[in-house]
Amino acid sequence: MNIFPLKINNLNYSVNENTILKDIHLTCEKNNLTIIAGNNGSGKSTLLKILHGLIKVPINTVRWGDYSTSNIKINQSMVFQTPILLNRTTYDNLAYVTKKKNITEKFYVEKIIEKLNIKIISDINAKYLSGGERQKVAIAMSIIGSPKVIFMDEPTSQLDPAYKNEIENIIVDLSNNGVKIFLTSHDISQIRRIGKEIIFLDKGKLIYHDCIEKFFKDKHCDLVNNYINYG
Amino acid sequence: MLINILETAFNLIITLNDDLFEIINLSLKVTLSALIIAVSISIPFGAFLVFYKNKFQSFIVLIANTLMGMPPVVLGLLIYTLVSKKGIFGFLDILYTPTAMILAQTLLITPIVISLTYEEIYKKNKEYDLLLNSLNLNNFSKLKTLIYECRYALLTVALTGFGRASAEVGAVMIVGGNINHFTRVMTTAIAFETSRGSIELAVALGLILLLISLLITLLIKSLRKIS
Repeated sequence: MNIFPLKINNLNYSVNENTILKDIHLTCEKNNLTIIAGNNGSGKSTLLKILHGLIKVPINTVRWGDYSTSNIKINQSMVFQTPILLNRTTYDNLAYVTKKKNITEKFYVEKIIEKLNIKIISDINAKYLSGGERQKVAIAMSIIGSPKVIFMDEPTSQLDPAYKNEIENIIVDLSNNGVKIFLTSHDISQIRRIGKEIIFLDKGKLIYHDCIEKFFKDKHCDLVNNYINYG
Repeated sequence: MLINILETAFNLIITLNDDLFEIINLSLKVTLSALIIAVSISIPFGAFLVFYKNKFQSFIVLIANTLMGMPPVVLGLLIYTLVSKKGIFGFLDILYTPTAMILAQTLLITPIVISLTYEEIYKKNKEYDLLLNSLNLNNFSKLKTLIYECRYALLTVALTGFGRASAEVGAVMIVGGNINHFTRVMTTAIAFETSRGSIELAVALGLILLLISLLITLLIKSLRKIS
């Protein structure tokens, strides 16, 4: 099942006459880590939710290869800015997702726990975990079933540098292993460190889409320059 | 005088007085039956309402919230008119039986359980909506997950219903008739024994009711802690 390239064609999205996304056209290839950047209210999270199918849009505006978003939902997962975990132990959270994804492989949860190095917190209820630990568990949940695409909505925005580094390493590792990552971020140094491609939004409009190296070399408008200088 | 009454009341409890325990036994049977029926209907229904998003949803929730405050005597009167000999359900012949009392208590607590269940599941759904949609679950799977996640809160809801039913007097008095050895429960017995001056038995029953209320409160408190 080839779900690339991702093609967005004339994507518009409004809520109560407020335009959130306007006239988005773009094509994304598989092999890179795509950063979605922009100021608050630029539509980054909405774009992620649309790409993940959490917000419905006309079927032909978002195409994954020859498929619509609903056809490939099984190949996607999402990590939210504030991790959403069930009121259970880490192990049980992972077991829950494993069950819902109909994975019957023995010791699958144990493998995920080992992969993310979270054995030490596997028996602790999620409500007692720190922000960084919760985010690691959320990422562990997102990789269950080996999705081809993972959406990450500012996954490190609430973390200290140590956890940020750890989570970034996990993200880069996933990307290097062929998982397409879409990640929203405000952190310009993080964008520089891990990004390969950038989509820059302003007030719902796409104003830049290219590789990261080019983004940092190109001349931009004041808005993007400010973002680069103060992000 | 008060000390004498309390002493006699404690004696009745400690010596396992037959009349006292017959009344407690029937009270618990009626209330627990009503609770089981109400919870079996109301929890799935209250949860279902969260996903049943149309104009009827808010109307049903509004009705349930309104009926939460329904005076038990009015409910008792309503059931009386329905199940009395001349009522449309008179053929059932359940007036002045424990069945009618169970029916009254069930109808009394059903709106409470529906309304509180809806609130709990609604809150949890808001918290988990993105995750459950991200996992592409159907409504039934979501519902099962949410009910499981709300399990302690829903137990608290059930205990609230139990507390309301066990303390109720008006409806069971009207439809049960407070018949000795047949439909006399704690609350109706307290009213009856007080009116005829047998205050010791009334106090003993009152103490048991208070004890039940205390146990419910402690259980709710610890369940809230767990959840």
